[in-house]
Amino acid sequence: MTIPDKMTGGTVAAGRSVSKLTSPLVRWWVLYRKELLESLRSFKLIWMPLVFILLGAMQPVMLHMLPELLASAGSLPESALMEIPRPQAFEVLAQTLGQYDTMGALITALAFMAVVSGERASGTAALMLTKPISAAAFITSKWAGLLTITMLSFSAGYAAAWYYTYVLFGAVGAGKFLISLLLYGLWLVFIGTCTLLFSSLLKSGAAAAFAALGTAAVLSIVCSLYAEQLAWSPGRLPSYASALLAGADPGSAAAGAVVITLLCLTAACAGSVIALRAKPSVD
Amino acid sequence: MELMRVENVTKTFGTTQAVKGVSFTIGEGRCVALLGPNGAGKTTTIRMLTGLLKPTSGQIRFAGASEADAFRASIGYLPQTPPLYGWMTGIEFLVHCGRASGMTARAAAAAAKELLIRVGLEQAGKRRVGGYSGGMKQRLGLAQALIHKPRLIVLDEPVSALDPVGRREVLELLRDLKRETTVLFSTHVLPDAEELCDDVIIVAAGKVAVQGTLPDIRREHQQPVLELQTDGSGQAMSWVDRWLEAGTGKPYIVERSRTADGFRLVVSDVPAARRDLLGALAEADIAVRRMEFGHTSLEDLFMKAVAAQ
Repeated sequence: MTIPDKMTGGTVAAGRSVSKLTSPLVRWWVLYRKELLESLRSFKLIWMPLVFILLGAMQPVMLHMLPELLASAGSLPESALMEIPRPQAFEVLAQTLGQYDTMGALITALAFMAVVSGERASGTAALMLTKPISAAAFITSKWAGLLTITMLSFSAGYAAAWYYTYVLFGAVGAGKFLISLLLYGLWLVFIGTCTLLFSSLLKSGAAAAFAALGTAAVLSIVCSLYAEQLAWSPGRLPSYASALLAGADPGSAAAGAVVITLLCLTAACAGSVIALRAKPSVD
Repeated sequence: MELMRVENVTKTFGTTQAVKGVSFTIGEGRCVALLGPNGAGKTTTIRMLTGLLKPTSGQIRFAGASEADAFRASIGYLPQTPPLYGWMTGIEFLVHCGRASGMTARAAAAAAKELLIRVGLEQAGKRRVGGYSGGMKQRLGLAQALIHKPRLIVLDEPVSALDPVGRREVLELLRDLKRETTVLFSTHVLPDAEELCDDVIIVAAGKVAVQGTLPDIRREHQQPVLELQTDGSGQAMSWVDRWLEAGTGKPYIVERSRTADGFRLVVSDVPAARRDLLGALAEADIAVRRMEFGHTSLEDLFMKAVAAQ
């Protein structure tokens, strides 16, 4: 082609030659901050912790008021009421975790069901990938956002449960609380990461949430049936968290489950990256 | 100077080959139009140029950027519908895009401010993007493609979806833009291409049908056209029919077609055609409304190129 006649270029060319790219880490941080800002603007960063706190605080309060509630309902004889044993503090906390098994998992899956499919459908994922942003940076920034929000929400809720248990039933050691928090939090992050993976594989957000919840449910059931054989499965994490509260030491089995879960998280993220790279936009 | 070279690029989706061996070059500082009917492979080609899709075979080379990140930072891309984060404000979106393209926070903020003024969104910059009109979104999308001062701007159908006002605004921006950087845009609106571009690439059915600079293409493919419009009366029309029938014997006629109230001729010898026709009209005493000597347009060439595929 001929020599350009419309180049007034001097200023533009000079402006370009000095521009050097920021490091990939800085660009990753920009994406991560965008994830947090988005969840703040969409109120996810507000309602998710609130629901977890509500669930966490409700269980000790409910258990505390249970005898009075039953008495006011008046359907049980006096003697039966007397026989309802008052649960110990660690039992209350373990039952709270039981609440999160269903509601916590549901909330986590619903909160992140469109995390990749939404951006793919709107075209923003493809737009970002035409910039110096790798699919890996795109997915891991989303995963880091998911980790932050999930852990923040669950920690807030579980801390509320811990506080009300302390006030109404008595203390549970801080060590037990922290380790069970990490074990159970990892299970929720596992569910969130499954949602991320299915959100990159499937078009519909609802389908992604359903698939992630299904995976978690099947894993839990299979793990409770074959507790011995599947000692290292992510599905065992909730029961290790409860066992730990009761004073048992799940020890090496829990450590194995943590390692396997971390591997699963890595694999799920890698799967998301591959899916996004193969199909960055819908059409 | 050559900025981008596309060599024999193909792309296959499943069993359909969307792009069947496309080659062209983009010179630095040029404004290039990628023309073609819907489904010709324009969007697929553009996505390969931006690095979003990997070609099934062939090569795309960009001058001075072998590394993927450097290459991506040198390109500004605006897809067919501008993808925006509706929950961000205009200025936040621009800063985010600038920083994602590797700018520092300060540089991105300064460039975003400047660009908002340039695309006429300085008032709307503080509002959420979700409430923007179609034209405003397109202008913000354009600003997003420009913020990191890319060496090549790639626009996929930048004006097709806009109303006349929005279209005019974006075209004016493009006219301004092509003075300072290299622009490639796809369109099926031919007058837009004729108005703005230095070079034209016409694709049809996944192949390049015609390419070159606009003056070259005009010179090579343009032919004189003669259009006659009568008053449409019975007497005039029967004369038109008779004349067209007799036209077989006239050596200067390349192509002829009857229109509603006259005819259109592609001719090889304008003076001969004029003499002959004017004489015949005077002799038959035909009421002429309009008679025009012109040239075949880009549209004629486009139709021919597309039909030939």
